[in-house]
Amino acid sequence: MTATSNLLSDLSRAVADRAAAARAALVAICTPDGRHSTGTLWRSDLVVASEQALPKADEFQVVAADGSSIAAQLSGRDRGTNVALIKLSQPVSFSPAAAGEAEVGTLVLAFGADRAGGVTTRLGVVNQTGPEWYSARGGRIDQRIVLDMRLARAEEGGPVFDSVGALLGISTLGPRGQVLVIPSATVERVIPPLLKDGRVARGWLGVALQPVAVPDALQSAAGQASGLMVMSTVDGGPAATAGIVPGDIMVAIDGEAVRRHRKIAARLGPDSIGRTADLRVIRGGAIVSVQATISARPAT
Amino acid sequence: MSEAALALAPRKTLRVVVQADDPGRRAGLCQLLSSAGHEVVASADFADVALADGERPASHGVPIVTLGGAAADQAGLLPSDASPEQIDAALRAVAAGLGVRPIEDAGPGFDAMPERSLQNLLTPREIEVLSAIAYGLSNKAIARRLSISLHTVKFHIESLLRKLGAHSRAEAVAKGLALRRNQMLEL
Repeated sequence: MTATSNLLSDLSRAVADRAAAARAALVAICTPDGRHSTGTLWRSDLVVASEQALPKADEFQVVAADGSSIAAQLSGRDRGTNVALIKLSQPVSFSPAAAGEAEVGTLVLAFGADRAGGVTTRLGVVNQTGPEWYSARGGRIDQRIVLDMRLARAEEGGPVFDSVGALLGISTLGPRGQVLVIPSATVERVIPPLLKDGRVARGWLGVALQPVAVPDALQSAAGQASGLMVMSTVDGGPAATAGIVPGDIMVAIDGEAVRRHRKIAARLGPDSIGRTADLRVIRGGAIVSVQATISARPAT
Repeated sequence: MSEAALALAPRKTLRVVVQADDPGRRAGLCQLLSSAGHEVVASADFADVALADGERPASHGVPIVTLGGAAADQAGLLPSDASPEQIDAALRAVAAGLGVRPIEDAGPGFDAMPERSLQNLLTPREIEVLSAIAYGLSNKAIARRLSISLHTVKFHIESLLRKLGAHSRAEAVAKGLALRRNQMLEL
């Protein structure tokens, strides 16, 4: 045998060993209707899952590494960051993994649970990393991590490890089957509010906004060529209460120009609730200033 | 296989009966059908296929494509916001004796806020004109409703088609709806 074939079998052996070890880090989350999804053990009695993959239920049966079935209860779910938290009725053995940094091109392993208690494995590379981003559901994600691999629905929410066994976060299916990682830092950040309130409070204005071009005649007055047009307002919501009406074009919030949704989302974090936002809007050819008191986004 | 079996009329004109209660919706569907080269007929007796907006009782042996329906016994089921291309393809398929169902929705996935290039943004006026087209209004009626000249309406529509990369009013409406779905966000 040559050295190259040993390299390949060494890699193969290492991946298989990691898969066997990873079983202790995850659980199968089962619902009575016969479906299941994957959860990542975050503490001895806490399981993190993918919010969009987790069936809408309050009670689950969780299959642990030793094959035992444990009753579990939903602690909370956050659509904004795609994190759901489940509390086990009794703790299981658990050894925490160190948090890792995603680096483009490095090998990663994503694991899922099958219904019988076995582990499923995916091997890929970190395809792309980027700075923090905002999900379309309004949550802040600490880092953009895209993986080059496929993932089944039932595997979503499982742990993603780098080559030294450090935990990057939980796997999540993005648009068009793209596989993303919700970083460990994001999961850590939303666990306390989920445990305390069952949800993550976010600021809310109650307006549906679509990017539009500012009409030529108003571009110099607005100081920008695009803004966000109010397509509808929620009755009784902060914007409607402040007098914002459909057709208004939002051009600035608190003196900062807005051209895209994320500029506004960035000002609607959990600490924004109760604060007054100074909104500059184009209305009927003039620029007017409107004060709206940010409230908490209602639970959906 | 015989040669006759392999011969295919490139774009067969279908006779379609439209079943829609909403006049605007009906006008939009009729316009879509004629731009796709089909003939709208008044009665199911003369139709190859029926196009229904919402659930309808089965009609006298004519295969039916339902927009936004769920009845499993109907030949064609499409979402209510199906594109003109999908509607055209579904009508041809059911007229040829096939069944049509959308691919099982896999869910949109966890996505970022829209951050696409802002080069082809519509102006508020263009959005108004697009809504009027979607409602089935003629250029003249749009001019009246928005109190602008017919010339200005045409100017807005040209700009709309260019920005959306659409070749017809029906395509502009479909693309405009898709854009709105992708870019509108509640905050």
